[in-house]
Amino acid sequence: MTSTRKVLNWIGMGLFVLLGVAATIPLFLIIIDIYSKGIDAINRLGGLWHFLTSEPPSPLSKSGGVGPPLIGTLYMTALGAIGGFALGFPLGVYIGEMRREKLANAARVGVNVLVEFPTITIGLFVYAVMGLVQDDLNRYILGPVSATLKAALGNSVFYNYVSWFVGPLDSFNAYAGAAALALVMIPYVALITASAYASVAQPLREAAYGIGGREFNALFIVMRKVVSRAVLTAALIGTAKIAGETAPLLFTAFGNNYYAPFTGSTGAVSLWIYAASETPYNVQIMSAYGAAAVLLTIILILFISARIKAIHD
Amino acid sequence: MTKLEAKNLQVSFGNVAVITGLNLSIPEGSITALMGPSGSGKSTLLRVFNRLIELYPEAHVGGYVYLDGQDIFEIDVIELRRRVQMIFQIPNPIPNLSIFENVALGLKLNRLAKNRKELYQRVKTALEKAQLWDEVKDRLNAPAGKLSGGQQQRLCVARSLAFEPEVLLADEPTANLDPENTAKIEALLLDLKKEMTIVLVTHFPQQAARISDYVAFLYKGQIVERGPTKDIFTKPRHELTEKYVTGRLY
Repeated sequence: MTSTRKVLNWIGMGLFVLLGVAATIPLFLIIIDIYSKGIDAINRLGGLWHFLTSEPPSPLSKSGGVGPPLIGTLYMTALGAIGGFALGFPLGVYIGEMRREKLANAARVGVNVLVEFPTITIGLFVYAVMGLVQDDLNRYILGPVSATLKAALGNSVFYNYVSWFVGPLDSFNAYAGAAALALVMIPYVALITASAYASVAQPLREAAYGIGGREFNALFIVMRKVVSRAVLTAALIGTAKIAGETAPLLFTAFGNNYYAPFTGSTGAVSLWIYAASETPYNVQIMSAYGAAAVLLTIILILFISARIKAIHD
Repeated sequence: MTKLEAKNLQVSFGNVAVITGLNLSIPEGSITALMGPSGSGKSTLLRVFNRLIELYPEAHVGGYVYLDGQDIFEIDVIELRRRVQMIFQIPNPIPNLSIFENVALGLKLNRLAKNRKELYQRVKTALEKAQLWDEVKDRLNAPAGKLSGGQQQRLCVARSLAFEPEVLLADEPTANLDPENTAKIEALLLDLKKEMTIVLVTHFPQQAARISDYVAFLYKGQIVERGPTKDIFTKPRHELTEKYVTGRLY
């Protein structure tokens, strides 16, 4: 009898191992495929530095890169991550700590729905909002602001820099893209934060109120330090998530192959991959593989630093 | 002099009445032990004294508690918690913060130190009073989670002392400690009563006998008997008290 049980145990364990391996095979196939083709492409298109800084190749050129889309991705991801964290973190604290309030429960349900939303609808939403507010925003706020800046700075080089960031917005612009990314990130950060706060043991919560003084300090300083690890992970994983998003940017940032002000349509690496892989031109398809390798590297760095931080502590 | 006084205090959690019309006065500069079986309302009573009870949304409090004759529910809660500090059954330093930061954080958040030098001095004084300074002075930046259980509890005492409180509430502070560390905490409390009023919740009648000046015996949310420690242990007036101190009620 014992030996039958052992054999069954081996078979069972063997199946689990097999399933585990099967689950990771696609992951490694994707990584290997993208890096082997991507690195080859980057070398053929003019080397890493050239690839990271130059404009995407036109159909008949022999070299090119992802400079403008990369800058756009970095800028929009950074803004989106800041916005998403700034809203998602307090929301998560509210959901996690005020579990007995009806509104907090409603917020929890809402966030759970939002996390499953097709991200393209979020892009559409921001596009619609942009259409509503663009005129007034430009006329009453951004126009005067940029005029004031121009008057203050004159036509200096410095004003040229500033005007890349501040000015009347086109209907496609980096800020709309960042807003869409922030909306995608909010529920991720909120849910991880909420579960981290909810898991804080009652003695630590009491200690937090005992030493924190006002409730704000207890919740956002003392208890944040208790759950800092989870909050950091939430921020990094949320950032990784939005760095690779394409759909929310289609109607908001739109994409751009040239270095251009962020107030107008802005490129993103993911958008370039999408656009280039649809063309019949080999050089552009190659650059899409290179771009995929760059994007994957950004995301892996974010994920791995989140993992290392978790293991290190 | 009465430091803390509860009058007709009632606390319930939802429909469950935990404290039912309790009257108690706690003399200044002494150790008052709250003794009683599980569920008699000892810990709840402590959490009323610094209003941590308000963290429990289902708790409902009625009656009055006075600190130096002032209604604690009319004192600003931040000021109250600064004056009435608490240490807990499970040592609860913030594990990933450094030893220094654990003591300093409360001072910083309540803006009790004017500059870094004063902050350092107050942290040092608090750690010295908690008799922990000599053990940690060379590793103030180590995470508090690395300390032993007894050291963590003394760190929590230091964290409370940094506020220079008038009342120290101790909720079974030695329940999770070995006898050696228990002795250290008890010696510490005896030392501290020179400067502050201490309310000690304990499950061990022996502990109350060793260090307290007064004992209040709680049963089912009411004070059964209160008096000088010696009287409670040698000539208890109430049958329940006698049963408890002789180990026949728990």
